[in-house]
Amino acid sequence: MSEEADAKEAKESDAAAAKKTDAAEEKKDAGPDLSTRLRAWVRANPDPFIGGGIALVYVIWLLATARSLGFSRDEGFYFGASSDYSRWFTMLLETPSKAIDRASIDAIWTNNHEHPSLMKSLFAISHMLFHDKWKLFDDDSTAFRFPGMMMMGLALWVTYMFGTRAYSRRTGVIAAVSLGLMPRVFYHAHLACFDVPIMAMWITCIYVYWRADKEGGLGWALLAGVVYGLTLETKHNAWMLPAVFLPHALVVHGQAMSRHAARSSRIPVPTSLVAMATIGPAVFVLLWPWLWNDTLPRIQEYVNFHVHHEYYNIEFLGQTYFGPPSPRSYMPVMIAATVPTITLVLFALGAFDRARVLVAQLSVWAGEAIGRRFSWPKSAPARDRQQTDLLVFLAIAVALGPFLLPRTPIFGGTKHWITAYPFLAILAGRGFDLVWKRVELLIGRLLVVRSTTDAATLDGTRRLVAQAAVALVCFGGALAATVHSHPFGLSAYVPFAGGTAGGADLGLNRQFWGFTTESLAPWLAENSKPGETFYFMDTAWASWVRMQEEKRLPPLRGVGSPADAELSIVHHEQHMNEVDYNIWTEYRSSTPAYVLTHDGVPIISVYRRTHARR
Amino acid sequence: MLAAVPLVGIVELGLHVKQTTSDIVPDEDWLAARDAVKAKLQPDDLVLFAPFWADPIGRKWFGDELSGIKREARPDETRFHFAYEVGIRGAHRAELEGWKKVEERSTGKITIGVYENPSFAKVRSDLVDLVGPDRLTVARIDNGAEVPCTWQRGPGQPGGLGVPQGPAIPGDKFVCSGGATVGVAVLHALDHHPHLCIFATPMGAGNAAVRMRFAGVTFGASLHGHSGVQWVNERTPSPERITVAFSAFDRPIGQNVHRVGAGWTGFEFPTPELVGKKGDLVAEVSGAGPHAYCFEADTRDGAP
Repeated sequence: MSEEADAKEAKESDAAAAKKTDAAEEKKDAGPDLSTRLRAWVRANPDPFIGGGIALVYVIWLLATARSLGFSRDEGFYFGASSDYSRWFTMLLETPSKAIDRASIDAIWTNNHEHPSLMKSLFAISHMLFHDKWKLFDDDSTAFRFPGMMMMGLALWVTYMFGTRAYSRRTGVIAAVSLGLMPRVFYHAHLACFDVPIMAMWITCIYVYWRADKEGGLGWALLAGVVYGLTLETKHNAWMLPAVFLPHALVVHGQAMSRHAARSSRIPVPTSLVAMATIGPAVFVLLWPWLWNDTLPRIQEYVNFHVHHEYYNIEFLGQTYFGPPSPRSYMPVMIAATVPTITLVLFALGAFDRARVLVAQLSVWAGEAIGRRFSWPKSAPARDRQQTDLLVFLAIAVALGPFLLPRTPIFGGTKHWITAYPFLAILAGRGFDLVWKRVELLIGRLLVVRSTTDAATLDGTRRLVAQAAVALVCFGGALAATVHSHPFGLSAYVPFAGGTAGGADLGLNRQFWGFTTESLAPWLAENSKPGETFYFMDTAWASWVRMQEEKRLPPLRGVGSPADAELSIVHHEQHMNEVDYNIWTEYRSSTPAYVLTHDGVPIISVYRRTHARR
Repeated sequence: MLAAVPLVGIVELGLHVKQTTSDIVPDEDWLAARDAVKAKLQPDDLVLFAPFWADPIGRKWFGDELSGIKREARPDETRFHFAYEVGIRGAHRAELEGWKKVEERSTGKITIGVYENPSFAKVRSDLVDLVGPDRLTVARIDNGAEVPCTWQRGPGQPGGLGVPQGPAIPGDKFVCSGGATVGVAVLHALDHHPHLCIFATPMGAGNAAVRMRFAGVTFGASLHGHSGVQWVNERTPSPERITVAFSAFDRPIGQNVHRVGAGWTGFEFPTPELVGKKGDLVAEVSGAGPHAYCFEADTRDGAP
């Protein structure tokens, strides 16, 4: 598949260097020790470490910024569920027979059973180990959030590996960078939620399937089955993955399958698919104790919850949508308004390039099928047995496709199609490849002009520096926008959309989940008294309690209504205006004491009661 | 062309820097704008902020004196002689379409446009202002039987943590048998804008109506008003109709039928025969059923 000379060059040179080193070592000592061999192996296989390095830096960035990000509504619910699950894990260690008793399972695992258990179990275990036992994190919340951050690390690592193996190392690096520098992704990557985890598992599952197809053998196939089970156990987006795998497998193996079927009357299904169809569901049930009793009715209940999920309010282009039909333009407009424009431009280039190759392959195939040669392409494109391009496009199309249907709820904003983003990033990386080649050509011409020779090129180090400089020029804006978006990631819109104010002008949703309450901390510290009553509006009660316990806000007394509060807030969303107006009625004033803004756009209004309560 | 793609990144960075620094309106500009408007604002004038999303910031700086509930939650703009539009980012409010710009000045990044209303109508009596035990009596009418409602002062019920909350039930209100209340609150209408109005709700099942008698109303050439239902009810259109019928001096003035789903809609009845008279105005609301129905009306100069 890889037509990239660069990638080959890089790999070959790495391998050659490793071989040389090995040879030298062997001269010294007939039997190199383990660390020498390990070093040689690392030099020969640097990609897992490069990807790991990118992931590590990103996870450290997430950890460093976690304390300043308030808790979303859903996190409040998952903190609670994970705390319950912790009790079960403790029980499992201490009295296993009691833990697997139906009464114990139902008492604990019924909580939040509308979502599978994997991430909440990891949140729980992380809390038990990294907070309670080893005290690695001071905040309970950071321990709960840590597995989500690690999932972002996994997503970056796999994105890098996929991009590198499919196209080039440069593609891999830029893919990981593009993915990490999406403000919405950066926000969600902090959370003890399931959106970034399912993004990570979506690409991991597809990557393992791809490797299974490429490498063959039972090991990869079994791994594909296990990973699909884990993906099912992460979030229900996994139900859509067969729509990626089946058409792809048909294209890759269709001819062989039909030939085999004609000979033997048996259809040879790829082992990885068989594993995903068998091991996957088994892992799904095995890891979710709530399904251990009344398995089928409970699976039915789980499926029904999501198939018939209620519609929440969400603003789009100045209109609040609360049910079908959902606007078809929602997904493309929101992608354009929230994914850095440079990433989308590079994606468009990369996608066009790979689509051209796909169409060329199709043209050649069609020509062969009907026994004639078309005028285009002049020469057949490199054959890719794995049909990687097709797989990448399917991974994007299946993740995005449902959002073109009128009945698909849109209340989740961009997070519901976040699974497409690693693949979008990979094609952006491919687009950067094309751009770099042109830039390199240009640099070469400039060097020729300035030198006496007619074949000037950059040496290895300068080439690397030049690539980094071009990448920095490309992604400087995305980096600045991502850094600046924190902790208002859901309010942030890309500069070409006008930034946060541009999003407000366009009538795009400014936030949801009530997490921005924590950003009031400096003002509240100056302007409230300990114990004052505070109506915290869209923040979930559990999230409020956690913020108080972790001393992220001054010691106020939370209350459930402006009627009981000296201070009341409204999180600005169009459908929340009623809360604003109700506070006016209650406080007999429309003047906020404070307006929290991001780039001049109101995020929260705070009102203080000035009339005595009756 | 491909080699020019990194320019996209440079432009993206440049735009970001601009949007996050020089585009942001500093507090001093808001203060200067407030002082400029305060120096000229008359009681019949309107202050509004453009774009609408900047409204909370404007209210914070201008305060209740300049942009309080009566101006913010206005029924419409017709009662205002001049409008001071305090705008940022070159925004302009659609409500002022057709108004004549008479002045414009800037305070830093803020533009203050002064607009003259081409069809200004002076309000004589605003029913919203008359809600209270001194000028209003309320009764529930059930199958012809009239049961007086009592005025109560107490804590309000402005909703809880759930969304949508439903309208606030004001602390000061008339309480009728069956739990219906009549009081002034701010409606979140279908247009997501605030409207200060008289809630007469909920009447519950059956044919119950509520009769309001406003005392000492000064009549003008017309009775001008609006009606609406809480936005969540309103956004799902239904065949239900809610009627508010007005009468004075034992003669009908007119009735407005609100169709659930229509949003905040206006009505106007000419009252040339009542110009200059002072007396009781009766408003009777029927058909509200479970809906959070709200209306407002005023008597004013100028025929429709």
